[in-house]
Amino acid sequence: MLTLFRNIFAAPRDLILILAAAWLGLTLSEKRAARHGVDSNELNNLLFAALLAYIIGGRLFYAAEHLNAFVKSPLSLVSINITLFDMWGALAAAIITGFVYCQRRRLSPLPALDALTPFFATLAIGIGFSHLATGAAFGQETTLPWGINLWSATRHPTQIYEIIASILTLGWLWSRKAESKPGSDFLLFAALTSASQLFIAGFRGDSALVFGGLRAEQIAAWIVLLVSLAGMEFLKPKEAEPMVISERIYSVPKPSAKPTARKSASAANKVRRRVAKNKPRRSK
Amino acid sequence: MQPIQRRILSVLILLAGLAWIFLRADKIGASTAGRIPAPQKGFLAPEFTLATPKGEKITLSELKGKAVLVNIWATWCGPCREEMPTIEKVYREYKDQGLVVLGVNSTYQDNQVGIVPFLEAYNITFPVVLDETGDVARKYDLRSLPSSFFINRDGTINEVVIGGPMSEALLRTRIEEILNSPSN
Repeated sequence: MLTLFRNIFAAPRDLILILAAAWLGLTLSEKRAARHGVDSNELNNLLFAALLAYIIGGRLFYAAEHLNAFVKSPLSLVSINITLFDMWGALAAAIITGFVYCQRRRLSPLPALDALTPFFATLAIGIGFSHLATGAAFGQETTLPWGINLWSATRHPTQIYEIIASILTLGWLWSRKAESKPGSDFLLFAALTSASQLFIAGFRGDSALVFGGLRAEQIAAWIVLLVSLAGMEFLKPKEAEPMVISERIYSVPKPSAKPTARKSASAANKVRRRVAKNKPRRSK
Repeated sequence: MQPIQRRILSVLILLAGLAWIFLRADKIGASTAGRIPAPQKGFLAPEFTLATPKGEKITLSELKGKAVLVNIWATWCGPCREEMPTIEKVYREYKDQGLVVLGVNSTYQDNQVGIVPFLEAYNITFPVVLDETGDVARKYDLRSLPSSFFINRDGTINEVVIGGPMSEALLRTRIEEILNSPSN
């Protein structure tokens, strides 16, 4: 079964899985947009702009890093090789474009991020399936009965752990009641994803080791977890719409008993008449 | 949940995370570090010995210390034909710096008679070997043609590129990486 799956979606066909997840995620996000007070068309446009910036930015950043290679063959700038791509540059371009778009369209970024959370969560599932198809993000060797045969050994199925964790995250977010704090859905997604990655990365067999043996992926996930948990503490509830008060309130002497609105209005009139009577006439 | 309870829970989660990081640090297998052969980045490139059309035998492990590009191809494969001139061009440019390009023809799924005329037509000067039994295809988990494996000087795989044609910039950036890799 796994072999068949890996044969069908071997690289570069694994991109189909990511694209399918993105499409499904966008559909879910559109359904949830109204809950966060975001127009679904605006959400589509925002995502399209950010994705375009991600693709173009990723290639341009890569070209800037390897300028000599691209100067010798400028046409490579539009080559179909997806590995000519800088992921961090792409992310930076997408985030900047997203914020600029929100500013120009007067769209609040936090509700927009909340509305996009189902998209991110579904995309994470797609990435897990893509890892399973290509054998990337593989686990370390194990004797556990659920180990999978990959790269010359029986290994922890870290890609399957990743898929399960992402599905649970999406399920949690989808079944959650509407929150009054803008940004809370997105931060919860970030916290759940980083926590699961922190756990799963402990079983990976392709970890980059830093600081004398610590796994770099775990450290990165812990930092994201810290930031998202801290962020959740600082979130403020959505401000209530200000009430429009049409009636003028007069300053009246404090009555002994709690007056009704009509009583206080008549008392105010009495005060006004008394003040008018005592007012000295201006001499002609 | 009360804010104070939530904060305590957050701190506990973060502490548990830290403990897990230290618990899983530097375990055997945490990083493949080129210990076992597999056709994946970070692993030792699987060993093979194959013959050229003239009968000369080439063994991959004998090329240790050099930067090696193993390109698996077939004459009928369109993207393979498209990328051949670029590979040849880049090979001529970098061979003096220690680059070896090894073209592995998937002979078990190709027409053996057409291979030499193909190499002559494309003016290929880098060595090409014949995988007549499909042994290399199995060892390298071949799923698409062309497939290219950029191998560091120490024999570990630096990058795997499935499909093609590879652009000149891709070849240059990856080749420069493996040329700059340490020998040990």
